[in-house]
Amino acid sequence: MSEAVRIVEKKRIPSGAIMLQGLPDVGLVGLIATSYIISELNLDEIAYVDSDLLPPIVVLHKGLPHAPLRIYGNKDLIAAISEIAVPVKALHRIMRKLVDWAESKNVTMILSMGGLPVQNRQDIKEPKVFGAGSSEASLKLLREKGLEILNEGFIVGPQALTMRYCVERKLTAVALLAQSFFNYPDPEASAVAIKKFAQITDKKVDVSDLLEKGEEIRLRARDIMRRTQSELNQMKKSQEYDLPLYV
Amino acid sequence: MYGERRKRSVFEIVREYMERLDAWADELLESPEHPSWDVQSCCLEPLCDISVTADEVVVTADLPYAQPETIVVEAVEDNLIEISAKIKRKVRFGDFGITHRKGEFSSFRSRARIPMPVETDRMKIHFKRGILEVHLSRKKGHRVKIE
Repeated sequence: MSEAVRIVEKKRIPSGAIMLQGLPDVGLVGLIATSYIISELNLDEIAYVDSDLLPPIVVLHKGLPHAPLRIYGNKDLIAAISEIAVPVKALHRIMRKLVDWAESKNVTMILSMGGLPVQNRQDIKEPKVFGAGSSEASLKLLREKGLEILNEGFIVGPQALTMRYCVERKLTAVALLAQSFFNYPDPEASAVAIKKFAQITDKKVDVSDLLEKGEEIRLRARDIMRRTQSELNQMKKSQEYDLPLYV
Repeated sequence: MYGERRKRSVFEIVREYMERLDAWADELLESPEHPSWDVQSCCLEPLCDISVTADEVVVTADLPYAQPETIVVEAVEDNLIEISAKIKRKVRFGDFGITHRKGEFSSFRSRARIPMPVETDRMKIHFKRGILEVHLSRKKGHRVKIE
């Protein structure tokens, strides 16, 4: 029987890199941020995810077919993105495979950017970024970089699974969560998340172009946002608003 | 064949049945697929959201590039509102790199069905950071005093 999820490597994969994950989620914050970093740092397509659990889709770019879930990289950075909303039923196995694969490539840290939905987002000019980490060491790193830690609460979705599997594997995982819209693409939230990513990894990424193209990105991202909304509803993403009970 | 059937436990059969039922329910619940654009009317469908509080229903719409002075919110029926707005510049399929379709879009338009009775004649509308917010007061019920 073939594997449910496999990662097809197209080029040599660097060892000991930092891995970024940007799958469609709240406000598409992680996807927009990771795609922008891929473009700004000129990362090459180095692998893709193949799975019968994903819908039968190829994405055409410049006339050529690409897998919707792809991995980019250079010598010290790997970035996974998806151009389609990942079906909830496939999410566990895909995230587990990505973490297993990252471990096999000696990834030093899995960093994912995402949105933290807030009801008054329109009134917030510069969204605040919170951090979550898989270990005491990663929380220390986040604090050192001036991030407020998400102390109590729920994380639902791809970032939650990465966090869980990284704890299992004793890998370092860090989630950067920017205050964002729930159901609308939020390039401004992506920009503040990128600034924190740059601080943590000592990479230089200028976000001015992202902010300038904000409206254009919102217009282009309507379809993937709509499909992501449907998956978010199915995974009960709104549980992130819930108050946890731990007596 | 018969032997194989007998090997399946009652739990397996129930689980398979439930899975089929789930898949069927998913299909039923999924809204019919349609594109987010309409070439005939030159309209793009904006992303919309509806939330309900104790006092009001709030409909929001993401309207990037919208000209604020052209935004119109209209009550089409008691529980149906239509949102429309002109876009600052015409958008073409070519702007998205798409060459196999032709058409250009000059406005946003969408309809939102309100899930409960509201006072459509007393709408409050705000437009901030490209997001339209329509506040509709919920109709009040009868108050009953405790005897």
